[in-house]
Amino acid sequence: MAKPLAGIRIADFTVHNAGPFCTHLLSQLGAEVIKIESAMRPDAFRKPHPVYGRMGPATFDQVASTKMSVRINLKKAEGIALAKRIVAVSDIAAESFRPGVMDRLGLGYEALKAVKDDIVMLSVSSSGQSGPDSHFAGYAPLFGAWGGLGELTGYEDGPPVEIRHVMDHTVGMNSAVAVMAALQRRRATGQGGHVDVAAREVAASLVGDMLLLAAAGGVPARQGNAHARMAPHGVYPAKGEDRWLAFAITSDAEWRALTGLMGRAELATDQRFVDEPHRQANRVALDAIVSEWTVTQDANEAAAKLQQAGIGAHASWTTPEIAGDEHLRARRAIVEVAEPDGKLRAAVGVPMRLSKGAEIGIHRGTPKLGEHEDHVYGNLLGIGRDERRALEDAEVIY
Amino acid sequence: MRVSISNCPSSAKAIAVETVRAPLGGLQVVVRASGVAAAYAARLLGTMGGKVLLIEPDGGSPLRREPPFLPCQDGKPGATSALFAYLAAGMGSEVVDLNVADGEARLSELLHSADIFIDDTPVDERAALGLDEAAIAARHPQLVHVSVLPFGASGPKCGWKGEDIVIQHAGGEGNLLPNGLAVEMFPDRAPLKIGGQFGTMQGGIAAALGALSALWARPESGGQYVDVSCQDANLAVGAFAIQRLGDGSIEHRVERSFRYGGVIPCEDGYLELLTLEQRQWDGLVELLGNPAWALDPALKDSLERSRRGPEINEHIRAWAAVRKVDEIVSAGQKLGVPLARYKTPAQILADPQERHRGVFQKVDVEDAGELNVLVSPFHFDAAPLTLEGGPPSLRDASILAQAQG
Repeated sequence: MAKPLAGIRIADFTVHNAGPFCTHLLSQLGAEVIKIESAMRPDAFRKPHPVYGRMGPATFDQVASTKMSVRINLKKAEGIALAKRIVAVSDIAAESFRPGVMDRLGLGYEALKAVKDDIVMLSVSSSGQSGPDSHFAGYAPLFGAWGGLGELTGYEDGPPVEIRHVMDHTVGMNSAVAVMAALQRRRATGQGGHVDVAAREVAASLVGDMLLLAAAGGVPARQGNAHARMAPHGVYPAKGEDRWLAFAITSDAEWRALTGLMGRAELATDQRFVDEPHRQANRVALDAIVSEWTVTQDANEAAAKLQQAGIGAHASWTTPEIAGDEHLRARRAIVEVAEPDGKLRAAVGVPMRLSKGAEIGIHRGTPKLGEHEDHVYGNLLGIGRDERRALEDAEVIY
Repeated sequence: MRVSISNCPSSAKAIAVETVRAPLGGLQVVVRASGVAAAYAARLLGTMGGKVLLIEPDGGSPLRREPPFLPCQDGKPGATSALFAYLAAGMGSEVVDLNVADGEARLSELLHSADIFIDDTPVDERAALGLDEAAIAARHPQLVHVSVLPFGASGPKCGWKGEDIVIQHAGGEGNLLPNGLAVEMFPDRAPLKIGGQFGTMQGGIAAALGALSALWARPESGGQYVDVSCQDANLAVGAFAIQRLGDGSIEHRVERSFRYGGVIPCEDGYLELLTLEQRQWDGLVELLGNPAWALDPALKDSLERSRRGPEINEHIRAWAAVRKVDEIVSAGQKLGVPLARYKTPAQILADPQERHRGVFQKVDVEDAGELNVLVSPFHFDAAPLTLEGGPPSLRDASILAQAQG
C-alpha cells in the first residue's frame, strides 16, 4: 500500500521557509513535489548565509528533502511556458512570493487555471493576497509581531519576543491543512481553487482566545511562564548549569503528590497552598519553595519521578538531547538521513504515525539543482533531447 | 452555498462578503477533547466546513473551566472560558457518559455516521471505554481515528502527561527562548514558553493534517488510525535547530539573536526590524537619515554588520526611542525595510488589514453577548471562511443528551 498522498503532484515555486515547509510535509506524506528554481535564483540553502554563519551552501536542507529539483528561468517567456507545462500535469501549484509577483510573471491563479482547470493553487504571504498591507515584506518575527503572538510572549516585566522559525513552519503546517481541504473539495466537486494563507493571521489564530478576551473588553498581557489557573506552573532551575525542569500542577491531588515527592508533606495542609486559588494568590512564595527542591534534582530524573506520580513534566531539552532521544526515534519523529558523502545526521520526520500504507517521512535527501530533469522533462512532459538542449542553450532550463 | 456575513467589528460599518462552498462541506467530525490539541484539530476542520460534534462528559469538557473567563455583557465577571469559546465556536455538543453502557452505544451510533473521530483520552483509559484502536477499527472500519496526546500513543513515553509549557520544553523551542532584547535584559532567567497555547495547538494542526491525509487515502485504504504527538509537532516546527545541529552548531537562546535589529523599543511601543538583504539595509540607512556612522563603507559588508551588531543596535535604539512606532513602520515599509509593530490584541481587532480580510466574525457567546471571534487564517477563492455560530452551551448539550437517553 502506498503513502497516503501518493499520486498527488505539486509544482513548487515556494521560497524561504514557510511555503517550502508546507510542501515538505506533503512530500513526506507521499506527494511528488517538483521544486522549481534556477541557477540565477537558487534556493537560499544553496548559498552562503551570513546570519547563520554559513559561509558555503548547506549540505542538507530539511525543507528541500524528499523533493525533486528542476531548473526554470522564470525571467524568460519560454520559462513561464515551461512552468505552465509542469502545472498542467500537477494537482497543486504552491508559491510564496509577495502578492502580485505570480500575476506579473503570468503565473497567477487564472493563468494556471487556464492550463489546468481544477488546479489547487496555494499562495503563502505575510499579510494575505488582499488588503492595505498585502504588499508588506515580512519574515517570521514580523508575522508574530503583526499577529499578537510576539506581543503576548515574554516575561511579565519585559519586552515582547521574536518568534522565529517555528513561526514560519507553523504557517507551513497550517498551509498543508488548507491545501488538503481544498483537495477534498476538488474530489467532491471537481472544483479546484485558490488557497490564500496569511502568515500574520496564522500568528493571530494561535492567540485567538486572547483576541476574543480583548473583544469582550479584557486586556490580555504577557505572563511569562505563569498560568491563570495552575500553580506551580513554570520552568524551574534544576541541578547543573543552565538546566531547567518544566512542569505544571493541574489539580489539588497533583499538588499533594508533589509535596510528597519534595519531602515536604506539611505543605499539603499549608493554608497558603491548600487549593488552586490559594496557590495562585501565593504563586511567588510557592515558586520559591518549589525551586529549592528542583535545584537539587537532575532535570531528567525529576521529570520521570513527577510523571510516575501523575504530574506532567519534562526537562527543558537542548537540541542534542532531542536528537538522541529514544522515544522520538521510536516514533520516527527523529530520523537519520545520509548526506551526499554518506555521513549520517539527524533530521526531523513528519509529525504523525499512520496505521496503513508505506512508511511516511523523508526518503530522499536534498536534491542537487536540476537533479530530476530527466524524470520531469523527459518522463512527465515528454520533452525530447533536442528540445531540452535548445531550452538549455537559450538559458530557459538554466 | 453562498451566504453573506458581517465581517467587521461593531464599531465599523458591516460589509457583505461573499463566501464560496466551504471546502470540507459534508464532512462529519466527532471529537472528544479534554485538552487544546484535540479541540484545535476539530476547530480547524470545522472552520473549513466540517460539521463537528463535541462529546462532553457530565459537567462538560475541562476546557470550559479554563480561565480567563469572558466578562458578562453588564461588565460583571463571567463564567465562559475565552479558550473554550474560541476553540468550540461553531461546534455542536452532546453530553455522553462513556462510563455507562448507554453512553458507549450512543458514541458508537455517532461514530457510525462520522468520517473522522478525534480523541485525547489517555492511552491506558481507552480500552475500558471502548476507545482503543482495535475496538474502534473493528466497529467502524471506514472511520479515520485520530489520537492526539502530549507524547503520542506509542513509544516509551506514550503515557506521559504534559500541559503546553511541558510540551514546548520537550519539543526544544522552549529552551531556545527568549531571544534578542528579552534575553539581553534578563540573561539569567528561566527559559520562556511562547505565549498562549502554541505547543498544544501545533499538536492540533498536525492532527488535522493527519486526519485529512488519512481521509484522502480512504478510498484505497479504508479507515485508519492516526497517532499524533504534540511533542513531535513542536519538534517538526522547530526542525531548524536539528538542522543546525547537523551543521555543527548547537543553538542557545543567548546567541540565537539576530546581531542587529530585532525588538526595538520606541516612544509608544515596540517594533520588529529585520534586514536580511543588502537592499533592505540600504533602505534602513535611508530611513535613519543617512547618519555618518551608517555610511561607513565597511558596513556595506553584511558580515561586518553582523560583527558590529551591538554597536549598530545602540544607534538604532537611540534613534527609535524618541519616535513613534507607526511613523517608523510606515516610512520604513515604503523604503522596503521589513518592519512591523508588536500589536496588542485590541490593535489587531481594530486593524484595517484584518477588517478588510474579514478575519473576525461576530458570534453569540453565552452570557458575554455578541463578540468578534477570529474564524480562520485561510481564504479560499478570495473569500474568508465563516463560523456556524458561537460555542455550544452545556445546557443545550445536556438537554440533547436527555432527549437521546
